[in-house]
Amino acid sequence: MKPFRRTLAGRLLADPQAAIAMLIIAALVLAAVFADLVAPYDYSAMNLADRFARPSADYWLGTDNLGRDTFSRLLQGGRIALYVALTAVSVSALIGLALGMIAGYGPRWLDNVLLFSFDTLRAYPTIILALALAALLPRGLSTVIIVVVITSFSEYGRVVRTQTLSLKHAEFILAERAMGAGFGRIVFHHLLPNVLGPFFILAAMNLPVVITIEAGMSFLGIGVPPGTPSWGATLKDGFDHIRTTPWIIIAGGLPLILVTLGFTFLGEALRDQLDPKLRRGR
Amino acid sequence: MTSSRQRPLAGINRRQLLAGTAGLSALTMLPVKAWAEGTQLNVRAYLEPDNFDPLNASGFLEELLYGCIYRKLIQYTPGDDWGYQNDLADTIEQTSPTTIAFTMKPGQMWSDGYGEITAEDIKYSMERHMVEENNSRIKPDLGPFSHVEVTGTHSGIIHLDKPFAPIWTIALPYLAGTVVCKRATEEAGGKLDSAVPPTVAGPYRVVEQRLGERWVLERNPDFSGPTPDFERVDLVVIVDESAAEIAKEAGDVDFTAVGPGSVQRLQDTPPEGTTLSLHPSLAYYWIGLNVNHPKFEDIRVRQAVQHAIDVPAILQAAFFDVADPATGIVAPGLIGHRPEGLIPPQADFAKARALLDEAGIDRLEINIDVLNNVTATTTAQVMQAMMSQAGIDLNISVHESGSFWSLGVESDGDRWKDLELTLKRFSMTPDPYYATAWFVSDQIGDWNWEQFSNPEFDKLHEEALSETDTDKRDAMYRRMQDLMEESGAYRFITHGATPNLYDTDIVPATRPDGLPLVQFFRKA
Repeated sequence: MKPFRRTLAGRLLADPQAAIAMLIIAALVLAAVFADLVAPYDYSAMNLADRFARPSADYWLGTDNLGRDTFSRLLQGGRIALYVALTAVSVSALIGLALGMIAGYGPRWLDNVLLFSFDTLRAYPTIILALALAALLPRGLSTVIIVVVITSFSEYGRVVRTQTLSLKHAEFILAERAMGAGFGRIVFHHLLPNVLGPFFILAAMNLPVVITIEAGMSFLGIGVPPGTPSWGATLKDGFDHIRTTPWIIIAGGLPLILVTLGFTFLGEALRDQLDPKLRRGR
Repeated sequence: MTSSRQRPLAGINRRQLLAGTAGLSALTMLPVKAWAEGTQLNVRAYLEPDNFDPLNASGFLEELLYGCIYRKLIQYTPGDDWGYQNDLADTIEQTSPTTIAFTMKPGQMWSDGYGEITAEDIKYSMERHMVEENNSRIKPDLGPFSHVEVTGTHSGIIHLDKPFAPIWTIALPYLAGTVVCKRATEEAGGKLDSAVPPTVAGPYRVVEQRLGERWVLERNPDFSGPTPDFERVDLVVIVDESAAEIAKEAGDVDFTAVGPGSVQRLQDTPPEGTTLSLHPSLAYYWIGLNVNHPKFEDIRVRQAVQHAIDVPAILQAAFFDVADPATGIVAPGLIGHRPEGLIPPQADFAKARALLDEAGIDRLEINIDVLNNVTATTTAQVMQAMMSQAGIDLNISVHESGSFWSLGVESDGDRWKDLELTLKRFSMTPDPYYATAWFVSDQIGDWNWEQFSNPEFDKLHEEALSETDTDKRDAMYRRMQDLMEESGAYRFITHGATPNLYDTDIVPATRPDGLPLVQFFRKA
């Protein structure tokens, strides 16, 4: 059995950047999971007498235009952000993984068709697609997730296809084939484990992007319905009153900054640990 | 009616209209800057004007532009009282209930060598709205207009099929009264919607359109009136109110409306060199219920919704207490304004609950469609929070402008049938006809999204158009609003307010409701 410090988790914890990232992510995840216990107020409770209250002992991050506690709403917003990010990234990653392997390992004509589809989708601006879909679909988290899935699975597909292509003619794969290994064995025992490294790095790096897309859509008014405490909605509330109550937009931006830093650091650390070339270079 | 340079409109007293409203000066102690020759005025436009042809005009944005480049027989008088002043008209008077005689000032010229403005131009400009194939969007503003009889180069008689009270408040001083050049328009094929008009008559002319950014206007050298103070006027397109306010403080615009949420801050800490003025608006906001939706077929359910909406809370949260509750669709100071509505502004949750119980409903789940602006979404959220106390769960659907304004339109699909609640704001002119016109039965599937249909209402609307007795007309419009409220299809919210922020070195000219008349702006 390998000592802990030589496992992936051990190596990550030994990396200060990765340790900080995991600390931030753990704090955000715990805050979101236990939001109902941690939040000092009901996130939807309106109190017009206390609207636009400055940060204080009563309201740690102040209140918004309807007198709702910003801190409680941000905690609840963390749930939404994580739900959207994990769901959208999981779905798009799985679709991308499957299509990418099919493209890389399948016949040439299928590769061309899928590659054309990936490039077409990747070329489409996310926000424009979001605006178009928002006009067609009911507003809500599911629409946000659909937008993210449509715009991001091709990225996974591209990466996995490239990895699969580079492995397809590798000697050990040819040897397996020569020994009579079937399609399933080659794909699931040899190709899949070898493409998972870059795949996970990309997924980790994409989590904050997805959270930002959700926040962006909510900021533009095409994300979650009004009243839903997403981080983007808090940013929008803050922007609407930025001249009078700048603390709302600052508070709304903080978790986005933290989550972006956390997942980006983690993604970079994962890349450093999982990419053999980078490891050799150390 | 006798000719007059300036006169108040019957029944409209600005002082009454301004009850509770004050001019809020935020004056700098610094001396007013000296204007250099060739100065530029930047006025914010909250949307892009549609085009140059009055046939296709849709609202105040076009009026903002047309006021600068075109002329009319009469124009609204800037100031605190609703009134009009002669523009092209030298004299204009109502000679009978269906005729208005006018004479024009001689020597008023079109630009670019198109000659003098004559009564033929007046005739052409008004009658083209009545031509079916022209599809004029503002034809209803002219009511029972028949034709213009030209009696001389500078004189004529406007004929109506029947008396039309709003002729002095809407038809002549607003969009439909805009005069275009007959010769130039005919040369352009009868329409002016494709390019900058070949000739103008107003104080300014358009020299550049930067779509989505600004319309650049310069002095019209052929203008027959007094030379305007500003050599160049830019209509700067800024949709968002917060962005407009930032632009004002950055010096990018000299005059803009600001959001109600900024009023307190601007009063407390006014930006240097600026003035804030607050004007009562004529517009009206209301919550409409589609009476033909299965959820609202029982009037008790509609009444429950009416009583579950707390107007003061909405005004506090969404309008920052700068606006008063509305009693109907006709604003204070206008003929037909009701001092009180039938339902108090405050919510009565117990009554709403009782009405739902009577209707056999334990919990009512309904949907409201609103625009994606902060006032609308805040209003909806307040409603959502308050209505739950009456056992009503409110879902909010937000739409961008294009999508929202097609919701209740039959020709745009089937969504108009499924509407439940909507929050809308309609702009207004100083005549109650302009308010009630959208709620007659004929408007179902167009602007009457509540699908409210009442024969008495329709009859009163027709009769009030021709009624010249002010008291009788007042009573008719009050009754019409009673009928609207009794139907359970309407919960009136407010008329809002128009706070304007502008440089102290300009003297803005506005209508009593605060909308700018740029052609009359002056340097301080």
